[in-house]
Formats: sequence, structure tokens, C-alpha cells
Amino acid sequence: MELFFEHFITKGGYKVALEGLLATAEIAVFGLIIGILLGTVIAIVRVMPKYKVLPRVLDVICNIYVALFRGTPMVVQLLVGYYVLLPAIGLRLDGVVVAVIIFGLNSAAYVSEMMRSGIQSVDIGQLEAARALGMPYAMAMMKIVIPQSIKNILPTLGNEFIVLVKDTSIVSFIAVVDITKAFRQIGDATYEYVIPYLFLALVYLVLVAGIAALVKLMERRLKKSERQ
Amino acid sequence: MNDNNILSVRGLKKSFGKLEVLKGVDIDIKKGEKIAIIGPSGCGKSTFLRCINCMEDPSGGSIFFNDVDLADQRVDINIHREQIGMVFQQFNLFNNKTIIENIMLAPVSLTLKKIKKAKRKNFFTKVGNIFRKNKKELIKITQTKAEIVENARANAEKLLKRIGLEDKADVYPSTLSGGQKQRVAIVRALAMNPQVILFDEPTSALDPEMVGEVLDLIKEVANEGMTMLIVTHEMGFAREVANRVLFMDSGIIAEQGTPAEIFDNPQNPRTIQFLKAVL
Repeated sequence: MELFFEHFITKGGYKVALEGLLATAEIAVFGLIIGILLGTVIAIVRVMPKYKVLPRVLDVICNIYVALFRGTPMVVQLLVGYYVLLPAIGLRLDGVVVAVIIFGLNSAAYVSEMMRSGIQSVDIGQLEAARALGMPYAMAMMKIVIPQSIKNILPTLGNEFIVLVKDTSIVSFIAVVDITKAFRQIGDATYEYVIPYLFLALVYLVLVAGIAALVKLMERRLKKSERQ
Repeated sequence: MNDNNILSVRGLKKSFGKLEVLKGVDIDIKKGEKIAIIGPSGCGKSTFLRCINCMEDPSGGSIFFNDVDLADQRVDINIHREQIGMVFQQFNLFNNKTIIENIMLAPVSLTLKKIKKAKRKNFFTKVGNIFRKNKKELIKITQTKAEIVENARANAEKLLKRIGLEDKADVYPSTLSGGQKQRVAIVRALAMNPQVILFDEPTSALDPEMVGEVLDLIKEVANEGMTMLIVTHEMGFAREVANRVLFMDSGIIAEQGTPAEIFDNPQNPRTIQFLKAVL
């Protein structure tokens, strides 16, 4: 115990841990943002009316995309992205950037499914009323349907964020120092793993509890706004 | 085509899968006419109404609105829908917008979109004008964004005042009664200054004591000379407001005429049977 705290506080282990925490937060937050934006686009493509050729082609592309990213583990996606695709196109990117991109792409596949069910849960009359007033499909979706569906799926989006935060523990595969890696380094330095790993678990628990509380707060806010 | 006709429907057909709901509807509607559409459930009266502004894509036939065929896929339906208001059975107020936002949203965002488009076009015209001898004229943009919003708000407030709901401007639809919601839905359609309004069973989802206030508002709008088509089960209302009644049965207009002709002296046996059942 003393060994851990000695290393953690006096020898500057907390600095590494904080940097790791920052990397974890960056990957999870930006990953979620990319996931929501891209996921919404995919979801809209998938619920679009399909009379014309273009929506049908887009739909096939989106289906393949979702199948690809849901069908392979995130670790594999990270490894393929970092060690195969990037060298293949001769690009060098920071590990954190790669992680953000892969997390975003992966999360988009899941968010698109949530968003699709969210969109379908909004009464069709809302879209019809907007279209009847002369709004084009995209405008009606952005102004009326999507805001309502986001509210419907906020709890599941919160879950997705929690999953993302926890999944960041695998980014050390591509040489990113996240919070997990930081505590492993402390363990490596002291040959004492029990306390660092328990402490690490506690950090994740606190993070997740914080997010859960935040989501609940947002939910209540949004509910209130409709019942003034 | 006759200039007086605001709407001319020719051979309108609509099928859902194998089920043929409309089997060829023909009708001419003059400006200012009030048409009541009655008929047994499943006869296609709502489908007919929804085909007019292409909420349902017609399977065949034409709908001439000011001599433009709306059934033609190449026509930009959105521009024409601005001129065709619609009021739904389930009100369909936007749940995520306040009452005044519900009324302002379409006028504001559609005008802004048009301005954006005009600006983009002007930009290309300007670039082109550098090389042109005869300079092309630019589209004039007369209003700023703030003015558009301000005008829409003033108009929305006026409309809300008219239906006595100005104190509800900033609340969300979930707090309103059914009758209030439907009246807001009607003024929302009015805010676009449409040439025609389609009413799809506007009182069928209302509690009985709220039917009156909605019908009164529709009557008011009718008296101002608005062209309207009303699918309704309120026979008394149809007789009072309409100047023409259509009786639809199994996908066609089985009989039409003035309210007196239809209600007092129906000719078609199906009309007689239907009226006997509902009156």
C-alpha cells in the first residue's frame, strides 16, 4: 500500500495516471461524438424512402458498414487500422487519433441501430405534418424527427458512452497510454499489482457512475421542457 | 384547362399492394369551393385527400393544382405543398416545439432556405457576370433574417390571438386539450397562406365537447373564402358549410351534388343506405 502511494504521489505516478485519464476521456468523448453524427446519417439512410436508386445504393453501403464493424472485435479493428491500413497508405498518425477514429467508426455502427429504432419510435404523423407544410425530407428530419428520437434513445446513448469509456482499456494494443496502461506501468515499476489494479477498477467505477448520473440529469431536464 | 379550377383531378388511382383503394377519381374544384367528402369507412376518402398533396403517391392519374400536375415525379412537390395546407385527425403538432414555434417553424425555415438558395444563385450569377457582356440580373433579397423571424412571430401571435390562445404561446403541445391542439394545427396551416386546405377528419379524435370549437374555427376560415376539402363524419356540419358534397364508395365518387341534393334527395342506393345508417 505504502509502496503504491509512494510511487503514485511522490514519484509522479499520478501525472501518468492523469494523462492516461485524459487519453481515455478524449477517446471516449470524441469517439461518441463521431459515432452520434455518423450513426445519425446512417440511420437516416436506412429509414429513407427507397423509390430511387441512390438511397438504395447508400442503404447497401450502410448495411455492409454496420455488418463489418459489428462483426469484428474492436481490438481487431484497432490493430488492423493501426498496423495494417495506416502503413499501407503510408500515413503516420498518433495512436490517440487512430483510437478516436476507430472508436467513432465502431460506435457509429451501434448508434445507427439505436437511432433507427429511435426514429421509428417517433409518430409518423410528425414527419407527415412537417412534409405537408412543404418542408423537404431532410429539413423535416433534422428539425422535427431527429430531436425527438434523440430524446427517446438518450438512456441507450448513455449506455453506449459507458461502453466506450470501458472499452478504451484496450487502446494500449496500439501503444496509447490510457488510464489502464498508466496503472499497469505503476504496477510494473513496483512489482505490486493488487493495489494499482483495485484502484484502477475504482476509477472506472467512479467514471461510469458520474456518466450515469449525468445522463439521468439530462433525461429529467428534457422531460421537464415538455411539461411546462 | 379552365382558369377557375384550382384543382382538377383526373383518373386518380391508388393501390396499396394488391388492394386498389382509389379506382379512378375525377373532380374539378373551383377557387373558394367548400367540398365535404363523406362515405363509409374504407371507401378511400382519406386516401383521396392524402393523394391530393402527395402524402400518398398516386399510382395513376393526374392532379392538376393551378395547372401543374402534382402526380408528375419531376415536379418539386414541396413548393406546391406550401400552398396546400393540411389538418390531420391526430393534430400532429410538433411535440418538441412550443406552440408559437409550431406556427412559425415552416414559414421561417422555408423562407430562410429560399434566401440561402437565392444567395448561392446570385453568387454564381456574379461570377458569371464577370465574363458576360449582357449582365444577368441578380435575385433581389429584400428581407434580413431578423425581419423574417419578426414577421413570422407577429403573424403567429395574431393567429394565436384569433383563436384566443395567446397565453399558450410558449408552452408545449402536451399541455393543451385536443380542441386547442386542433385549433393550433389549423392556424399553423393558415400561417403558410395556403390556397387550399385539406381537412382529414378534423374532429374524429376529439372529445364531444370540443368538437364545436374546432368546427366553429373551420366555419370561420370557410367564410373568409378559403378553398377547402373536408373529410368528415359530421353530417350537420357538412350540410352547413359545404357547397358541394361528395359521396365516395369503394374507391370512386358514387354521387355528388349540393348538400340539399345529397342529404334530402339522394339518388344512388348506396348513398341512401349510408345516410340512413348515419343520420
